[in-house]
Amino acid sequence: MKKLSLVFGLVLFVLGTSLGQRTISGKVSDSDGEALIGATILETGTANGTVTDIDGNFSLVISDDSESITVSYTGFTTQEVSFNGQTVFSITLEDASQTLDEVIIIGYGTSSKRNLTDNVAKLTSEDIADVPISNFQGTMSGKAPGVRVTQINGKVDAGINIQVRGIASISAGSDPLYVLDGMPLINQNESGNGAPTNPLLSLSPSEIESIDILKDASSAAIYGARGANGVVLITTKRGKAGKAKVSLNLSTGVSSPTNTVEWLNADEYIELFTEAAINSDELSYIEGLFDGLSNGTDWRNREVDTDWNEIAFRDGSQQDADFSISGGDAKTVYYFGGAFNQTEGIIVGNNLERLSGRVNIKHNFSPKFAAGLNLGMSRTTIDRVSNDNQFTTPLQAIAQAPISPPRNADGTPFSGTLYPNFLLEQDYANYTTVLRRVTGKAFGELKIFDFLKFNSDFGYDLSYQTEDQFRGSLTPFNSTNGEAYTSNATSENYVFSNYLTFEKEFNTTSYLNVVVGLEFNNSERVFTSIDAIEFPSDDFQTISSAAEVTAGVGTLTAYNFLSYFARATYTFNDRYFIKASIRRDGSSRFGSNNRFGTFPAGSIGWIISEENFLKNSNLFSFLKARISYGELGNSEIGNFPSRFLFGGVSYNKIPGIAPTQPGNNDLTWEKSKQLDIGLEFGFAKNRISGEIDYYNKETDGLIFSVPLPGSSGAASINQNIGVLESQGVEIVLKTDNVQTNDFTWNTNFNISYNQNEIKSLPNSSADIIFSRNINRVGEAVSSFYLPEYAGVDPDNGDALYYINGEGTGRQTTNSIGEAERIVAGNPNPEWIAGLTNSISFKGFDFSFTFMGEWGASIYNAGGRFQSANGNFEDNQTKDQLTRWQNPGDITQVPQARLFGFNGYGHSTRWLEDADFIRLRNVTLSYNLPARVLQPIGLSSLRVYLTGLNLLTFTDYMGYDPESRSDSGSGVNAARGQAFYSAPAPRTISFGVNVTF
Amino acid sequence: MNLNKILIIALIAAIGFSCESRLELEPAQSISGDFATTSESNIQNILIGTYDEAGQGASHGGSLQVISDLLGNDDQVTWGGTFLSPAEIVNKTILPDNGFVSSFWDNAYEVINQANIVIDNIDVVESDVEKKNRIEGEARFLRALNYFDLNRHFSSGDMGVPLRLTGILDYSGDLSKARDNTSAVYQQVVSDLEAAIQLMPDDNGFYADKYSATALLARVQLYLGNYAAARDAANDVIENSDHSLSSSFAAAFNHDADNEEDLFTFQVTSQTGTNSLITYYASEQNGGRGGDITVNDEYVALFDDPNDERASFFYESPQNGGRLTSKFSNQFGNVPIIRLAEMHLIRAEANQQEGTSNGATPLEDINALRARSGAAALSSITLGDIHTERERELAFEGFFIHDAKRIGATVDGIPFDSPQLVLPIPQGELDTNPSMVQNPNY
Repeated sequence: MKKLSLVFGLVLFVLGTSLGQRTISGKVSDSDGEALIGATILETGTANGTVTDIDGNFSLVISDDSESITVSYTGFTTQEVSFNGQTVFSITLEDASQTLDEVIIIGYGTSSKRNLTDNVAKLTSEDIADVPISNFQGTMSGKAPGVRVTQINGKVDAGINIQVRGIASISAGSDPLYVLDGMPLINQNESGNGAPTNPLLSLSPSEIESIDILKDASSAAIYGARGANGVVLITTKRGKAGKAKVSLNLSTGVSSPTNTVEWLNADEYIELFTEAAINSDELSYIEGLFDGLSNGTDWRNREVDTDWNEIAFRDGSQQDADFSISGGDAKTVYYFGGAFNQTEGIIVGNNLERLSGRVNIKHNFSPKFAAGLNLGMSRTTIDRVSNDNQFTTPLQAIAQAPISPPRNADGTPFSGTLYPNFLLEQDYANYTTVLRRVTGKAFGELKIFDFLKFNSDFGYDLSYQTEDQFRGSLTPFNSTNGEAYTSNATSENYVFSNYLTFEKEFNTTSYLNVVVGLEFNNSERVFTSIDAIEFPSDDFQTISSAAEVTAGVGTLTAYNFLSYFARATYTFNDRYFIKASIRRDGSSRFGSNNRFGTFPAGSIGWIISEENFLKNSNLFSFLKARISYGELGNSEIGNFPSRFLFGGVSYNKIPGIAPTQPGNNDLTWEKSKQLDIGLEFGFAKNRISGEIDYYNKETDGLIFSVPLPGSSGAASINQNIGVLESQGVEIVLKTDNVQTNDFTWNTNFNISYNQNEIKSLPNSSADIIFSRNINRVGEAVSSFYLPEYAGVDPDNGDALYYINGEGTGRQTTNSIGEAERIVAGNPNPEWIAGLTNSISFKGFDFSFTFMGEWGASIYNAGGRFQSANGNFEDNQTKDQLTRWQNPGDITQVPQARLFGFNGYGHSTRWLEDADFIRLRNVTLSYNLPARVLQPIGLSSLRVYLTGLNLLTFTDYMGYDPESRSDSGSGVNAARGQAFYSAPAPRTISFGVNVTF
Repeated sequence: MNLNKILIIALIAAIGFSCESRLELEPAQSISGDFATTSESNIQNILIGTYDEAGQGASHGGSLQVISDLLGNDDQVTWGGTFLSPAEIVNKTILPDNGFVSSFWDNAYEVINQANIVIDNIDVVESDVEKKNRIEGEARFLRALNYFDLNRHFSSGDMGVPLRLTGILDYSGDLSKARDNTSAVYQQVVSDLEAAIQLMPDDNGFYADKYSATALLARVQLYLGNYAAARDAANDVIENSDHSLSSSFAAAFNHDADNEEDLFTFQVTSQTGTNSLITYYASEQNGGRGGDITVNDEYVALFDDPNDERASFFYESPQNGGRLTSKFSNQFGNVPIIRLAEMHLIRAEANQQEGTSNGATPLEDINALRARSGAAALSSITLGDIHTERERELAFEGFFIHDAKRIGATVDGIPFDSPQLVLPIPQGELDTNPSMVQNPNY
């Protein structure tokens, strides 16, 4: 190392002496006056340069004819400083995030926002801090244009769906690729109870520095076969050279359901069901049932009136404590962080506790070689409840009769309820999931020449999840003296990336950046589980105590990718940009004939405002046009989807085999081609700025699990079918409304429109109908397909349906079988929007974010139980009281008939628009002034009050327009459906944030 | 460290990792389908898989019996469960998306396809002709069992179910298939069973044997009204199969291993197989849902002798207080498919119809069953008496609807030949098979 620096010095010396020379010196600091350590000072147009020392000072020998130096520092705007005869300089660098010129992470490199020819949405730690939610995805809601983030429902562990620019696939995975510090993350749901969990719960939002979402083909193409659903690049926090900064954040909050639904009380229940029973000649039956359900209490006098909503929900809470130390010197930067999150969900029995730690270190061994390690680990413990389609999930309690007491006099759960009382599960069973996660990356960076850099990254991701369930002898449907289940899912993923970066500026007008690389990614998953029954008593809860083991699973699966990639960016005159990239991916997931796919992309950009005709424009301070086009793949289709397979089965403990999957040798990648045309603008010195993008995304060769006739002996086959087109517009508008010393007010508004349409399907574009959804040419993906409800016959109280047949159009029938199904709605929204306002006044900061969705519908699959005019004995929603009673009554609720099946078939009766606007997040904070803090040795102290989901404006009648059912995740499972699905929590949290 | 060395090491590692042969991965839990039908041991394995498929809860593991008895329910039982599909069935308001109906359909055809694969590839079994015959016979038995029940439930007039007799391995082609003639399906069932009787050994452990097939043939012939053939088959089983009635009625049920009365069962253990009858008929203590199906007084009133063990073969549900049958109380007990008692009933009915007394007189056969349950012997007998005895003996085992249709009885006031008593072709089949036609009334 010494030798090299010597040579380096010698070169400088030679350079210095061979020409006329002089020495300049100075100090580099940020806008707060803090010294910037390790900032690069280059004699403009040459390779001659230095870095600043620990006090931010530098001195540099330069040639006589030199006119300026270029000062750069990661995260700050590069500045060119002309000498004008000076030799001592005081240089202040602007934080890049304050200007249009943010640093954007683009995968295997960075770019400045100004020079970017792609569409990338960036969120920084400021955007995601203070949102009181335990998963980082939830913090992005409403903030990234064109990115829809939905948590399936209000359970703390609920899965997350992220759609980048709408849906790009029908049955292959629709989640974006998550990349943490260059490492593709395992994002496999390992839940064993049917309700998906969020595998990335392991990541604490507090360890994230920024999230860059690659949305268009040109940016995502560098991730080739995995980029079609967009790419989410997560960058963790790292130290900045400077003295150690210690930061501590504590917050505590309470939460409650955003909304509940009103159900019949005891009085109304008895009234409605007595009427329903009389109409069906079942009066003695229903009175007998009331006797049983009321557990001997005097139901005739309404002795018991239980609101089961109150039994299923509770006040939740959330505690956060994060701690970090970061800093460094000219050679080494470090970040150590730890975080603790404890969340009690709003659903009884649903809790989460996460401990996480992170170390990010980078050391410059010499000016030419640097290496480092990013290491994150976490342990997340989740107390879980059953999936939405189980009696034992708390929210199904709303079906219970209000005349039933939840508990007996002795406090034990009442077991004579209409449906199994979830409190039995609550009291006598437990289900704990522990997710352990280690993600790390060791990396080295070698400057072979000033213009050529070699990076080698080795990333490793370990997800180790155990689930332990015990159901005691008193739980519902338990006949085996208790049962236990234990499982162990281990996924390992490593990625080895090596790439060369060529970067050179030619005679100040041209800049060329070329990245060429190679990557190998291997992922393996081992799963084991055991089921056992017959325990000596409920005090024994682990498998060892069981008398009989009834099932065991041990499976191994794997996939890998081998990829070559290249990207070239050329800039001319600081205003013309051209970029091209290509990635060639091979994967074990595809048949040997289709093993490799190539994914090219290109883009051009033009900063029009740099041209003479606009340079002095009073109107435009910035104007850039860009256009990109590229091809991406979607390989999220499971590991061996093309293979014709037989798997092992057993009969009476004798082994056998059975066909498990029809084969398709022609199966290949889904390819999506995307065109993006964008315009970025700034008016009035960029006080008004924004972006408008139009895109058109066409997915070809959609992979679909095409349902087969049951009579063929197989359920479905994986096929590349048809074409899906999705197009949309995204608008971002940022305004600096007020900019004074004491008072600033910024507004950030984004709105996105997305419309998808199926262009062709296999078998001459025949409809693909599954559950209550359809894929039909000309319609949106997974549209609702249902008979159309026509209200109630005023003469007799029968439910009516439109026939919608040829020639019988709007005629009605009371037989649902005669009614043709129609395309009745879209499970995905067409419009999504977010609006964030940030206001600062003296030490106070106030910000709030609204988000909204329009165009989606939700089908309440529980409607036929919950709102079915007393067809079954389930408690009914209050609106059912408006049932038809007498001839001439005009209502939407048919006559109540117990077991009369009057209007109970699946129909548009329970399909609703799910448009909403939600006050997603509000934060009010106060920064104590420095004069108070300095004497006590603090550099900042901030107190804040923050809220999540505080207000919701919607006409949706169900629990929550953002909640969907978490049961049924197969490809043929119904889409856009609610089923006893818990609403999102409303959380209010108070916190304090200290740094010193 | 020399920087060049770092570079060289990194480059070597990068290239070493980039071998394309690493992309060759094989699934660990599965074998390739192309390979599955090429070895003798795998043909045997597929046969075992076919039994497993056939015994699943969706069909002969219990739901099929429940469908048959709820559809044919004439006040013998009350459905009080929360599942929607059976509720639709008992109320005769079945929709084409009924989950029980489509699961039964899909499962039966899965069995048929797997049996077809075995039969198509039977020549791979070369080591032993008896083994080859046995395997083919078992596959034909399972295929016949499923076609018979499919056709009984879904055929309407001449429209039978689609008859697929070749295993499908390649699903990329056109899979549509029109409905075949009802009688063609029954003919196939009879010919499969006749072949199976020839092919199978007299005894085959808990798998189907010659007499399982003969017994099923007796059931089929009775259903088709071919009384002489039904009688002869039933007689063959009673005389030659080496099976006998259990010592008591209770002893005929809830076995972990087949007993002397069982001609064919689907095997259930705590680890394999499903007994769905338990789910709907048993208390929670016995592994059920507390008694979704409770037995009505109307059924109990059928018994003419209080000493008849069958008249009190019930227990009270601790969950809903209803009367539950004791026929299904062992959660991991085998699912009875054909008992010897049924053969006596078939022989009696067929002899009565034909005016013969082959093997035994109808009165002797009926009294044999009554004696086993401790009921007083009858002194004379009519066809109606035999039907009533059948209901006393075979209730809840999936006979209600088929007997009603056979005899021409009404069900809940609905005539036996009403299209309401025929199941709808599942919506999924209609949506994927363009040649399929729905039954009337749906």
